[in-house]
Amino acid sequence: MGRFIYRRLIHGLIVILGVTVIVFVVTRMVGDPVQVMLPLESTPEQRAAFEKKLGLDRPIPIQFVEFMGNMARLDFGDSLWQKRPAMEIVFEKLPMTILLTAVGIGFACVLAIPLGIIAALRPGGVVDRVTVFGSLLGLSVPQFWLGLLFIVVFAVQFKILPTSGAGTPTHIILPALTMGLPTLARLVMLVRSSMIDELNRQYVKTSFAKGLPFVRVVGLHALRNAGLPIMTLVGWEVIRSLAGYSVVVETVFAWPGIGLTAIQAIEREDLILIQAIVFTAAVCVVVINIAMDFIYKLIDPRLKLT
Amino acid sequence: MKKWGCVFLAAVWMGIFLTGPGWAQTRQITIALGSEPTTLDPQIREDGGERAVNDNIYDTVLTRTPEGDLIPSLAAQMPELVASDTWEVTLRPGITFHNGEPMTADAVVYSIQRVIDPDFNSEQISFFSTIKAARATGDLTLHVITDGPDPILPSRLYWLKVVPPVHSKDPGFAENPVGTGPYRFVTWQRGQHIDLVRNDDYWGDAPQIMAVRYRFIEEPGTRLAGLMAGEFDLITNLLPEFTSHVPKSVNVLGLEHPIVILNADSGITKDPQVRQALNLAVNKMALANGLFEGYAQVAQGQLLSPSFFGYNDQVTAYPYDPDRAKKLIEAAGVKGQTIELIGTSGRWLKDRDLVEAVAGYWEQAGLKVNVRIFEFNEYLNRLFDRKTRADAIFVVSSNELLDADKSFSAYYKSGGVGASNTDATLASLIDAARSETDEQKRESLYHQAVKRAYDQAYFVWLLNIEDIYGLSQRLDWPGRVDARLLVQEMTCQ
Repeated sequence: MGRFIYRRLIHGLIVILGVTVIVFVVTRMVGDPVQVMLPLESTPEQRAAFEKKLGLDRPIPIQFVEFMGNMARLDFGDSLWQKRPAMEIVFEKLPMTILLTAVGIGFACVLAIPLGIIAALRPGGVVDRVTVFGSLLGLSVPQFWLGLLFIVVFAVQFKILPTSGAGTPTHIILPALTMGLPTLARLVMLVRSSMIDELNRQYVKTSFAKGLPFVRVVGLHALRNAGLPIMTLVGWEVIRSLAGYSVVVETVFAWPGIGLTAIQAIEREDLILIQAIVFTAAVCVVVINIAMDFIYKLIDPRLKLT
Repeated sequence: MKKWGCVFLAAVWMGIFLTGPGWAQTRQITIALGSEPTTLDPQIREDGGERAVNDNIYDTVLTRTPEGDLIPSLAAQMPELVASDTWEVTLRPGITFHNGEPMTADAVVYSIQRVIDPDFNSEQISFFSTIKAARATGDLTLHVITDGPDPILPSRLYWLKVVPPVHSKDPGFAENPVGTGPYRFVTWQRGQHIDLVRNDDYWGDAPQIMAVRYRFIEEPGTRLAGLMAGEFDLITNLLPEFTSHVPKSVNVLGLEHPIVILNADSGITKDPQVRQALNLAVNKMALANGLFEGYAQVAQGQLLSPSFFGYNDQVTAYPYDPDRAKKLIEAAGVKGQTIELIGTSGRWLKDRDLVEAVAGYWEQAGLKVNVRIFEFNEYLNRLFDRKTRADAIFVVSSNELLDADKSFSAYYKSGGVGASNTDATLASLIDAARSETDEQKRESLYHQAVKRAYDQAYFVWLLNIEDIYGLSQRLDWPGRVDARLLVQEMTCQ
């Protein structure tokens, strides 16, 4: 186990370093923040002064060495756009995205698992058909359109929920629903198919024949064995959300999370903030991946961690 | 079951209670802005969100009427020119900052020195680039010394927000602003809202609105939904096609002018006949009505609105005359030749649509148009490229000082960042106006510059876009030509 943790941490560190180097190179290859940040009518002298101030007039290798040194201290420097430490902005926005992800995916899990099980119990039945149709619909509808639809119905027409922003518990309902519904659709389909597979296995039939209670057989044994692919999907959904998939929902609902901030930073060519956000996203992905491996082991102790 | 029914009902009521209007009570309004301020220090940045909030917390030395005329604000009267490079400013007595610091000549001198200090690195420096120094000559009088004669100084002072000398040295100043304005800062929940309340000790007329909350909604559709849901009282940058959906809308002639810069030094646009033809070929009225639903006006052959200093009302737009345009193209011997038109997409309202429409008109006039839409950074490379200048570059110019100097120096004067001509006469007119302190003479110089650029057709002047705001039923506000959102000029039921 200790060796496993050590190896995974080393792998994770290499991934984070690799991502950071790529981001450093890419942010300096595309675009020039000096041009974008200063007014159109600025003089060449003003532009040169601004470039010098940002340290962008120095050779790339020198910028890189300094960047790596600072990164080791989690100091990416001040955001060009917001004029305050980039990591301060990241730490301010990240919890909001984690909250939105947790509520959205939590809601999807709470609904998807029982729905998928019920559908799997009678494949081809009414519940199954409705579930499959609903899932296909949920997968087909674009997320931004779904968000706007929710706003029009629940906020503009019925005025029972706020259109946008954060602050009260009710503000999270519509964005979390919009975030969770596509996950719900994917998850329901997966739970259904995994459970159909498990319910057709010999051990389930034997358990029923031995007279074990229905809830115990389905809820404990079958669901546990179907758990690995479900956990993989949930983990993947969390990773996607933290790695930037939340941007659509955050933009539509003006949710002050990391996804919206990433888009704003890209629009403003704020390369310092972009680097800090991508670095944080890479760390999140690595941490969740390691956590997933542990959860696999908890669900199925037969798995060997290598 | 009955118990669960009660719980459900209670939950629904709680939801309604929590989401209810809350802030939207009598004489408290909510304004939705497209972007959040990056700082509330009024002298560091030059961004829309910061300005919208700080314009209500801080006063400037001079201000403008809603129609754009310069008038005193913290100054007791208009500044006087006491030497060719020295302006004397006299301040109103008895004004204090929200924290009690006195607003005296020392505070204004400090504010000027702070913003022009190279170490301070203000992004507003281009507004104050001619100011060399400032010194107090009394408790309420000061001299502003410029680098040579600077007739635009009053317009620059319209931009200068006065900060408190003591409190502005506090490291937390940018998040806890203190001004002399009609509203005091209360709180800033980053990413969510900024709240201001009325300053009951304000030196000017007491505003009617008690409190204002700013929300930051980048997505125009979400801003519109918030207005329609009753959450917001005012939204900025309402799209023209949505004006019929909102309770009320206000449209004011704004500061933005889309134009096409024509290369007067090389290529097929070197010939003035061709440049005139390119102007005559474009139906600007159709662009205003078709693309902007009537929320734009045809630019009158100059990069200025009627409220700008230097506007020449004797010059009017090139008419839409496609037949004459064709004849001029034929006479110049360029029929069927290719013209390169450069633009960008998504930076300005309907920018790509405008470029494509202009290209369509030019093709009807007998040219082939090679439209090239670039990502903004690459577009800027093309705009600033002095060596391989394109035939035609679409750009939207905005001039916050409402004075011809800024636009003309950048786009009309040879060597300006957006200029594509080497017209020495035009450049000398603009240079002369820049140092002419006699207002009438200066205006006359700009009139001549406008006429010369028009006759030479250095640009295709397209439109003057209107700013459109969506308002709730309970809010009244006439709008302003300088696009400032001054809450003290608003009233609500």
